[in-house]
Amino acid sequence: MPKVTIDEQTLEVEAGSTVLQGARRLGIDIPTFCYLKRLPPLASCRMCLVEIEGQRKLQPSCATAVTDGMVVRTNTPLIDETRSSMLDMLLANHPLDCPICDKGGECELQDMVMAYGPRRSEFHDPKRVFHSRDIRLSPVIIMNVNRCIQCQRCVRMCEEVVGAVALGTVEKGMDTAVTGFEGSLASCDQCGNCVEVCPVGALMSFPYRYKARPWDLAETDTICPHCGTGCQLTVGARKGEFMRVRSKQEHGVNRETLCVRGRFGLDFIESRDRIKRPMIRRDGVLVPVSWDEAGDYLRRRLSTVTNKAAGGLASPRLPNEVLYQFQKLMRTVFRTNDIDCSSRWSMPFDTLGPLLTAFYSRAPLDEVIGNNCVLVVGGNVTEENPVTEYLLRDGARRRQTGLLMLSARPSRLDADARVVVRVPPGGEAVSIAAVVAGLVAAAGEALSGDALATIEAKIGRPVVNAGGDGPARLAAALKDAHSVTVLVSVDLLRSPEARATLQQLNNLLQVLRLLDKGLAIQFLFDRANQMGAWDMGVLPAALPGLRAVADGAVRTALARNWGAEIPSEPGADLDAMLDLCVGGRMGALYIAGTDPLISYPDRAFVQRALGATDLLIVQDAFLTDTAGLAEVVLPAAGYGEESGTFTNNEGRTQKVRKFREPAFEARGNLAIFDFVAALRNQALRPSTQGEIFDEIARLVPAYQGLTQDGLGADGAFTKAVPTPPAGEFFAPPPALKETGRLMLITGDGLFHNGYLSERSEILNTVANDPYVAMSAQDTAQLGLSDGEQVIVRSAQGELTAQLKVDRRFPKGLVFVPENYRALRLNSLMRRGEYPCPVEVQKVHAALEVDRTSRIWRGV
Amino acid sequence: MTMREKIEEAAARYPDQRSAIMPALLIAQRERGHLPGPVLEEVADILGVERIWVYELATFYTLFHTEPVGTFHLQLCDNVSCMLCGSEDLLKHLETVLGIMKGDTTPDGLFTLCTVECLGACEMAPVMQVGDDYHGALDVARMDALLDSLRATAGRVASVEHASARPPGE
Amino acid sequence: MFEQVLLKNVDVPGGHLLSSYEAGGGYQALAKVLREYTPDEVVNLVKQSNLRGRGGAGFPTGMKWSFVPKRTGKPTYLCCNADEGEPGTFKDRIIMERDPHQLIEGLAVSAYAIGAETAYVYIRGEYVTAIRRLEQAIAEAHAKGYLGTRILGSDFKFAVHIHCGAGAYICGEETAMLESLEGKRAQPRLKPPFPAVAGLYASPTVINNVETLACVPHIVVRGPDWFRGIGPNKSPGPKLYCLSGQVRKPGLYELPMGIPLRELVEDHAGGPLPGRKIKAVIPGGVSAPVIPQHGLNVGMDFDSLAAVGSMLGSAGVVVIDDSTCMVKVATRIIEFFHHESCGKCTPCREGLNWVVKVLRRIEAGEGVPGDLEQLEKLCKGIFGNTFCALGDGAAMGLRAALAHFRDEFVAHIEERRCPFH
Ligand SMILES: Cc1cc2nc3c(=O)[nH]c(=O)nc-3n(C[C@H](O)[C@H](O)[C@H](O)COP(=O)(O)O)c2cc1C
Ligand code: SF4
Ligand code: FES
Repeated sequence: MPKVTIDEQTLEVEAGSTVLQGARRLGIDIPTFCYLKRLPPLASCRMCLVEIEGQRKLQPSCATAVTDGMVVRTNTPLIDETRSSMLDMLLANHPLDCPICDKGGECELQDMVMAYGPRRSEFHDPKRVFHSRDIRLSPVIIMNVNRCIQCQRCVRMCEEVVGAVALGTVEKGMDTAVTGFEGSLASCDQCGNCVEVCPVGALMSFPYRYKARPWDLAETDTICPHCGTGCQLTVGARKGEFMRVRSKQEHGVNRETLCVRGRFGLDFIESRDRIKRPMIRRDGVLVPVSWDEAGDYLRRRLSTVTNKAAGGLASPRLPNEVLYQFQKLMRTVFRTNDIDCSSRWSMPFDTLGPLLTAFYSRAPLDEVIGNNCVLVVGGNVTEENPVTEYLLRDGARRRQTGLLMLSARPSRLDADARVVVRVPPGGEAVSIAAVVAGLVAAAGEALSGDALATIEAKIGRPVVNAGGDGPARLAAALKDAHSVTVLVSVDLLRSPEARATLQQLNNLLQVLRLLDKGLAIQFLFDRANQMGAWDMGVLPAALPGLRAVADGAVRTALARNWGAEIPSEPGADLDAMLDLCVGGRMGALYIAGTDPLISYPDRAFVQRALGATDLLIVQDAFLTDTAGLAEVVLPAAGYGEESGTFTNNEGRTQKVRKFREPAFEARGNLAIFDFVAALRNQALRPSTQGEIFDEIARLVPAYQGLTQDGLGADGAFTKAVPTPPAGEFFAPPPALKETGRLMLITGDGLFHNGYLSERSEILNTVANDPYVAMSAQDTAQLGLSDGEQVIVRSAQGELTAQLKVDRRFPKGLVFVPENYRALRLNSLMRRGEYPCPVEVQKVHAALEVDRTSRIWRGV
Repeated sequence: MTMREKIEEAAARYPDQRSAIMPALLIAQRERGHLPGPVLEEVADILGVERIWVYELATFYTLFHTEPVGTFHLQLCDNVSCMLCGSEDLLKHLETVLGIMKGDTTPDGLFTLCTVECLGACEMAPVMQVGDDYHGALDVARMDALLDSLRATAGRVASVEHASARPPGE
Repeated sequence: MFEQVLLKNVDVPGGHLLSSYEAGGGYQALAKVLREYTPDEVVNLVKQSNLRGRGGAGFPTGMKWSFVPKRTGKPTYLCCNADEGEPGTFKDRIIMERDPHQLIEGLAVSAYAIGAETAYVYIRGEYVTAIRRLEQAIAEAHAKGYLGTRILGSDFKFAVHIHCGAGAYICGEETAMLESLEGKRAQPRLKPPFPAVAGLYASPTVINNVETLACVPHIVVRGPDWFRGIGPNKSPGPKLYCLSGQVRKPGLYELPMGIPLRELVEDHAGGPLPGRKIKAVIPGGVSAPVIPQHGLNVGMDFDSLAAVGSMLGSAGVVVIDDSTCMVKVATRIIEFFHHESCGKCTPCREGLNWVVKVLRRIEAGEGVPGDLEQLEKLCKGIFGNTFCALGDGAAMGLRAALAHFRDEFVAHIEERRCPFH
């Protein structure tokens, strides 16, 4: 390792380290503008110039690799003068309009001038003025070109990290300006990472514009509520009023980046459909009542339904403590294991459980992406987990990670992938089976005769080339890798084929393990605390710690700790609960923080089921569609109104912090559980968030040893408790039937991923209209053209939306994003049928709705 | 050949489509006269590259025009060698006889007057490029004669851009 | 008279045609290397010749070639720098217009030496005639089997493509040229990695100037000793000098490297215009610091000019006589660099803008005391701190003008007008 001496201090650094990195490790401050930690150096701002012994000129420390014995000085008069001179030049044409600049008080240029700048300027000539007005690049991004110092962080962030390539640089020299195509960013991701990295007030957040001075904001570091990536962010509020989100810290999985949902989608907390007071249904309508009245009513009603089943459904967006307490409430007070944590699907836990316990790697994404090959299965990671996608792109572009994509939906990441396998809608299981077969065939000698015999006994002679040469190429890449990470999109779980897909994934992982590959698997959840929800045992067949309900020892231990019996039979999952409802056998159904009426893929059915439930209790912050059907509605704290922890896709547990009190008469979820338990004359102990966390850390194996204080800036990792895989192989699924029909699949789009994003006014503005995406081939055949309104019709219903022709789409695939409320997408779907066969046709011209008011056109 | 075919032919010279943006813009400018947004979009679509990349190049390089120019684009060199040989006076003369300032186009759309950096023909300073052609050793008299002859050709060809799209080898 | 080697064909009618080139012994160097030499031997010949790059920096060509790694699994590219944007320079244009085959042969021999199968000639877009002539010559060379596959019956295959610039001086800087070739805004790249290792499309790439490449066939045919014998040993060879400005016989001259600047200007180019006296000469394009009249005895080669604080650069010799205001010349030159600054780095982009504003004021008679010190301070902030040599060149030139002609600057400020008006 080379040694370098910087300002008389000597340090050993890793080969290839730069002088800047070395200096920062020594705590020596070297000013920078153009430097972006995650990207190769640009070395254009020249702020970081240092003296290196033996070099004629000053050298940019950001781009100079340390060589052994190098002697560097960063504190000489020449360097002081040079830094001051660079700042002097930057200020010459800078408007110096700090008093009205949103960046004032947190501007890097301001800070740098204070620290290193000239005390006065000799510049007396007229300043350059590009534009007298700021340019509204998009609904959320506004640009003041005059303030730009050309560090290019924004453009590089957009192109190299986010991959959107929406921002660019036009003109040259002094006329250089950062902007979007023809001055607009209307079609960008709106992630605002460009705004975040802008050191000055050039790129600014429009929603935050002129709203506050940074020093008036109370800032709270917390975790994004939107998807399972679990990005860290900082909420700025003024007197409890939400102002903005920043991601200014290099912490967590996201290290300063966010996606549009995280950065601009938190205004849902100000949504107008907050439930203000408890409500009970009287004469068919919900009427507000006091907590006491609601309690009396509920006590009475609960006692009338004890002869029937009880069930609980909680949102995987609630904190661990709330989820843990919810299952405890259901199990010990309602005495049922009929609980689930998804309003969209029921997962085959018998298959998933062993896969999770045997293979799930609770490790930083950054680390698992460093593996040789990363196989991304299903979904569209670009839109579902954008920040995860940034890291994957980084792996492919800068760390030689071989990306292998296998999905029905194309994504932007495909462009950086080594192999892309486009599977027909619903064809994941078949394709993975083909990959397994290809891998077994390619592995040859590498698999022992015994292993080969076991595999062949189950999966038969490998049929290579089933489904084109994609699976074979993918298998070849896997064979050559020494370590493999598999990232699985949860959209696989929504299909009736979920079990088969998971079985094939299991086969794949087992073969890879037999081949001695370094292995990691993680899910790409689209809900912030799905991992936590599973870990907390909000599952009919699993207790906290993903341990089977059937396991008597575990049950007994938990029961002892909880001071109450736990029913011994595995309970009903969401599907089974709905069946109970429809059959008139469900007494009380307790739904916390989730809205099946909007998200369960069969609206008509779920409506019937909920309607046939004796007592529907909904506890939520928002008056959801489901709450609209409830008999008792309990107003709960929303995001930001209660503290707790989330466990993200990586298995990283992080603190979600409260930044204001529950609005109106809402109460914390934990307090409401206490309230309900008390109605049944029971008490849930412990009952505060901190104590519950400690209990989790005591009783849930993966969380053992975690402490609240230990959840530092980067959170803390839960630890996998690996159980050896069962070694079981599953038979391949039957080949996919060619229906020749258009098949609808649904999923998250970039701007919406659930009932929170739906309530964000900003996201609704940037998201424009809902759309239907289809291949160029299909649309040409149907005589449809890009941008026109089309009708998508299934056996159950129909919807109208704008057509987006996507050249990358495979034939036969129709995609409609979820959570565009107006669409009621789930009314097209029929239970158990996914992907859903549809027809697509033109809307009669006369019927075309006037959409103009909803499309953002810039100014 | 259509514009698309020409662009595709040019793109075949490179292993990466992005490299073909510059040649494509030169082709498009010859075909369309100048490069407004829709033309840039067209180029991006033909090459399958990001629009912003095309926009970046169309504005970085001075030979690309996103705004229309006159039939004759008078590009007078005013760099050192030409300046030393009298280009300043020629510019004043041009501004007077054309009745426009540098950077403008005559109302009849015939002439756009610009000054440019060194044309690489200093041996014949002062030099002016009009369309594809260099005119050197200019003085006021020669300049007037040149303008006259340009006006005369204007009657015959609609646009010098098209006229100069001759096959290789003149 | 000095034997015309590089310019042998330029005044021959039809000299740009293949027939004419062949009649003068053209493509024999190519035939010779394919027949007699391994690529490494060609690199060695060029090394022995001490040929130094004619694009401006004077880097030894053979050495540059020897940096190209072998068997990288990637193609090797040859790029010809025909962007010729340095004000005062027109030599490459004349070669390409009047003797394009000389360049093509130079490209082919050089490509053979470095193991390249593809060359891109980056020609500035204004050079329409040169572009057409070169296109035509490429077509002719193809038809005759000097380009294409199995060239002259050997295993060597080689294609030449033209890439037109679109009006940006910075494209002459070799790494900016690579960016431009890759379809990006032409801004210089960080080095290392050097282009020889990771250049165009991250593949090994050699970039040479037109004149440099044109020398190569002659070195092959006549031998490195012949080349090294012309002019100073460390900076040898026949050289093209572009004379322009206030001089009697502007034009392109082929003379030995190292010829005294005074001889070049006064004897060959006919000296000053009638009734005028030479005041200063810019010896190597406007990036080269100006040399006042009394310094004209310097030899025109890389080392001698560097020793007097200037440079040979592109050998664009611009003659300035006593009727001209040096403040105006300096202002115009800085305006050029300011206009052509790519905008990447702070000192060049912002610093030159400031410098231009001050200079324009001074030239207009609105300068104030302290302005010259401010200019010097800005030069100090720019020089040595810019990303590429463009900004350096600008600051160096201004410093020289301020040093040699300070009295003229002072006069502008004191008299509040330009003394030459
Ligand atoms: C700002 C700048 C402009 C340049 N312009 C040119 C040019 O127009 N033509 C050229 O051949 N070299 C130019 N160069 C030099 C090239 O960077 C490079 O050194 C040269 O092409 C190498 O070729 P050679 O070794 O054959 O000289 C320029 C350099 C700089 C810094
Ligand atoms: S010195 Fe000028 S031309 Fe060179 S990189 Fe900096 S801004 Fe660009
Ligand atoms: S941080 Fe090194 S040059 Fe900008």
